[in-house]
Formats: sequence, C-alpha cells, structure tokens
Amino acid sequence: MSSSAVAKQSSKARRRAWTRPLGYAAVILLIIVVMFPFLWLLIMSFKPDELIAAWPPVLFFQPTLEHYAALFGGQYQRSFTNSTIVGVTTTVLSLLFGVPASYTLSRSRIRGQGPIALWILATRMAPPIAFTIPFFLVYQRLDWLDTLHGLVIVYLTFNLSLVIWMMRTFFDSIPRVLEEAALIDGASVWGTFLRVILPLSAPGLAATAIFTFLFSWNDFFYALILTRTKSMTAPVAVVNFMTYEGWEWGNIAAGGTMVMLPVVIFSLLVRNYLVRGLTAGAVKG
Amino acid sequence: MADRNDTRASTDLQQLVLAPAHGWENQRRREFMYGLWPALIVLVVVTLLPTIYLFVTSLTPLNPTLPGSETDFSDPLQNYVALIQDGRVQESVWIQVQLSFWTVGFQLLAGLAVAVLLNSRSRFLEAVRTMFLIPMVLPPIVVAIIWKVLYTPDISPFHLFLNAIGHPMGAMITSPDYALWSIIIADVWEWFPFTMLMLLAALQMLPEEPLEAALIDGAGAWQKFMYVVLPLLRPAILVAGLFRLIDSMKAFPLIYILTQGGPGSVTNVTNWYSFMQAFNFSYLGFASAITVVMVLATFLLAWLIIRTVGMEVDVE
Repeated sequence: MSSSAVAKQSSKARRRAWTRPLGYAAVILLIIVVMFPFLWLLIMSFKPDELIAAWPPVLFFQPTLEHYAALFGGQYQRSFTNSTIVGVTTTVLSLLFGVPASYTLSRSRIRGQGPIALWILATRMAPPIAFTIPFFLVYQRLDWLDTLHGLVIVYLTFNLSLVIWMMRTFFDSIPRVLEEAALIDGASVWGTFLRVILPLSAPGLAATAIFTFLFSWNDFFYALILTRTKSMTAPVAVVNFMTYEGWEWGNIAAGGTMVMLPVVIFSLLVRNYLVRGLTAGAVKG
Repeated sequence: MADRNDTRASTDLQQLVLAPAHGWENQRRREFMYGLWPALIVLVVVTLLPTIYLFVTSLTPLNPTLPGSETDFSDPLQNYVALIQDGRVQESVWIQVQLSFWTVGFQLLAGLAVAVLLNSRSRFLEAVRTMFLIPMVLPPIVVAIIWKVLYTPDISPFHLFLNAIGHPMGAMITSPDYALWSIIIADVWEWFPFTMLMLLAALQMLPEEPLEAALIDGAGAWQKFMYVVLPLLRPAILVAGLFRLIDSMKAFPLIYILTQGGPGSVTNVTNWYSFMQAFNFSYLGFASAITVVMVLATFLLAWLIIRTVGMEVDVE
C-alpha cells in the first residue's frame, strides 16, 4: 500500500470519527421534531385545564386524570366496547375465510390467479367511498344502518383481501418439502395444513391478525357514515365529542390518547411487518 | 423461481412413484379449491357486487328525496356529462393533483433523507428507528386531532410561541393561502415513515459490488450517492411513491377535522367533493359517477404498480 493511500485511509477514518456523532445529533434532533406533536397531545391529556394554554409551557405539573374521568360512563365508554367487538369479529372472520384461500393461492396453480390477485390488490386500494355508497343504500333498505354486524361486513371488504395477500407471503416462504412428505404419506391437504403449515406460520398469523384488528379499530370513514348512535365506534365518538361538547381540549386529548394507546402498542409489536401490512402484502419489507 | 422448479421436480417424482398420479392430482386440486371458494364468494358479495351496484347507481339521478329516482335509467350518462361540465369537479381534481404532488414529493425526500441517516449498523440507530414509525401507526383520526391542536391559535404551542415573541400569525387552516399547506404538512408528517421504511429496507439490501467499485474509483460520498445508490433505489422509490400516490387520494380524516374542504373550496379534493355530494346533499347518483372515475384511476395505478414491479416486490 502506498503512503498516499494510507494517508487517504486515515483521513477517511478521521472524517468518520466526527461524522458519526454529527449524524447521531441530527437523528436525535429529528426524533424530537417528529415526536413533538404526538407527545404534546399525550401530555395535554394530563394537564389541568388552566395550564393547557399556558406559555411558556409548564413542564412540571401535578398530572391530573380529570379528563379521563370525564370520559367514563355513557356514550364514550360504549363506543370502545363497540370498537372492540367489531374489531375482534372482523379479525376472526377475515382469518377464517382468508387463511385457507391464501394457502390455496400459495400452493396450487389456478387459472385466473392474475386477475384474482389484481382484484384483491385493487379492492385494498380503492377509496372507501366506493364501497360506502352501495353499502349505505343496501343497509338503508335492510335497516342495517347503525348496527355492529353491518360494520363487520363492511370491514371485510378491506380486511379479507389483506389477510389473503399478507398470509400468502408467509406461506410462500415455507418450503414445500415439509408438506410434500405428509401428502405422500396419504394425509389430506387440509389435515396437513392444520398440522404442519399453520403452526409454522404462527408469527405471520399473529401479525396479520393484529393488522386486521388495527385497520378496523382505526377506521373513521365507514363508521362515520354507517353508524349513528348505538353502534358508534371510538374514533367517531371522539369527533362527536369535539363537535357537541364544545372545545374541551383536555377531554379531547384524553379521548384521542385512549384511541391511540392500544394502536401504538400493537403496532410496535408488528413493526417488522408494517410495510407488508400497509401495502396489503404487495411489498415485503 | 427456484421454488417453482422445486415443485415441478417433486411432481415429476410423484408421477414416477405413484403411477396413476392423474386422479390423485385432480383430487388434490379439488381439495385445494375448497379453501378458496368461501373466500371468493365473500369477496364477490362484499366487493364485486357493491362495485357493480355503484356503477349502476352512477347511471341514475339517484337522490333519496326523489321517489323513483333510483330506477330512472332514461338518461344513463347524465351524471357523467354533468361531471365533465361541473367546474367544481375539475377544480377538485386540480387540488388533488397539488396535494398529491407535494405530499408524495416531500414524503419521498424526507423518507429518503431519514433512511440514509438511519442506514448504518448501529445499535443506537436500530433502537430509535421505531420512534420514527409512530406518526404512521397512529389512528388517522388521532393524527387529525393532534394537528387540530397545533393549528388552533388559542392552544397551539406554535401560535403561543409566536405571540410571545411578538409575531402573531393567523390560523393556517382558515386561511385561503395556507389551508392546503396545513393539510400537506400534516400528511407529510403522518406518512413519511412509510417511504422511509421502504427505502431503508431497499438501502439495506443494495448489492456490495457497485458500491465498492465506486469507492475504488475514488468517488466521494455525494458522487456515490447520486450515481450509484440513487439509480439502484429507483424501483423502490417508484413503488413507495405509487403506494403513497394511491393513498393520498383518500386523505379524509385530515380534511374532515381540519378544513372541511374549505375555506371556500381550497381544500375541496375529489374524495371530499364526492362525500359531500353523496352524504350532505343526497346526490348519490352524481357522487357515484365521481367515485366510479376515482375507482378507475385507482385501478390504473394498481395496474401500474403490478406492471412495473411484478406482483411482489422483495425489499427484504
């Protein structure tokens, strides 16, 4: 190695020595900027009313739970029960119908697979209003507006395609030799699936289940149009709270925090699958 | 690909071992179909039939306050003609184009910048990566509430700060000049983690050879990035951009909470216009026609994604 090359290397090393802390500083600064809006709402929900509009902001205060207490009982509490019931039911149904279909698409070559795949991806991407108008008209006639089962059925429009598409990437990654052996021994396709494949795809199944639950929990648009009072879900209840109770900022912050808390916890559990979930499995990552 | 060859090899083997393999293959196929049919039937009922119904209502002047309007097919194209002539529809498309252009553009830029910053093997960076994901995983309605707080002068820390230093500013969300930008800022904050995540994954699986070659040729960090890394990232940037483009047409909660399409019509995007026509003014037939056009646009973009990158992009 020539001396100039050595000099070049050491200058590179020296440069790395100061770019690294600089990079870390930039990252930390960015985190503060990105997290600020989220943290502001979180902290606001514990602030006594008189401090909410205080400037300079009071950093140390006696946190209060009064805003949370104001939400308990009545409409708001019920909306959380509704969100949970609808979320769990949609998740169970989507998995029940979607997982076997996904396995079939992964393992057996079927004519028309291309168009089926395109259709599934497109329904996942279609603007919600495309389904809202027809469902609204049909529910009006069936008297299904403001019912929980009505909402569950609508949520199948996006969650079933999500399950089929996402599970497929997990099934595709399981080598076929495993079930070939069982099949040659004369086991049935679905017996093998239950005994061999399903246990192996448990992590994928858990991630997919969390995603379907989150997508129905997060939905605002369908619930806004297809529910009124008794089947109202949590996101709609928070917004109603804003419109009807006036601008009680503390309570709004507490309501928003309660809607987002389960979501943040669950999402961070499945963070490695976020891209897959948000692109309906069209992109692994 | 290797996977497919495997199957072919093993079916050949089965045909050798089990002489009357044909019936067995058929039976297996039938068994497989039992798993697919229920889901396909549900999908047809909950997605295909509604889409057809949407198209049918788009051919009628459907309005719940006018009896008989839902079966009136006397002038099936009237909504589409009205749609072309309605200046508000054209305006809403233009607003959507601006919103999509700026949000997708900034999300790609910010996502790329943060991805490059986070792309090195360090325990610290891996630990903080999760924090960057928070805006994206929040329920969209909570994101809208957060920005409502930040844009409301009475309680917003920005406004309180500007007041304190003697430069008070009017509310962005009620200003005709800044309302669209208030949506753009909130949307970029909410979704740049998505492009970041996709580009980070793509960065981490870049092939070593071109990077080493550039290093040997004496390329500086900037040259390496512009002429080696960026071209290699192109497919990932394209896919991330297309996905964000499709989703940018559905930015509903932000508009619902922050601006309601206003002031005037400066944030009246097509999705919002269709929603108002359908559920505020009861012009369901007309709104269906607008929505049919939106669905076609979505289909076109989904098809573009599949065409450019195949059914599945592997960025692992």
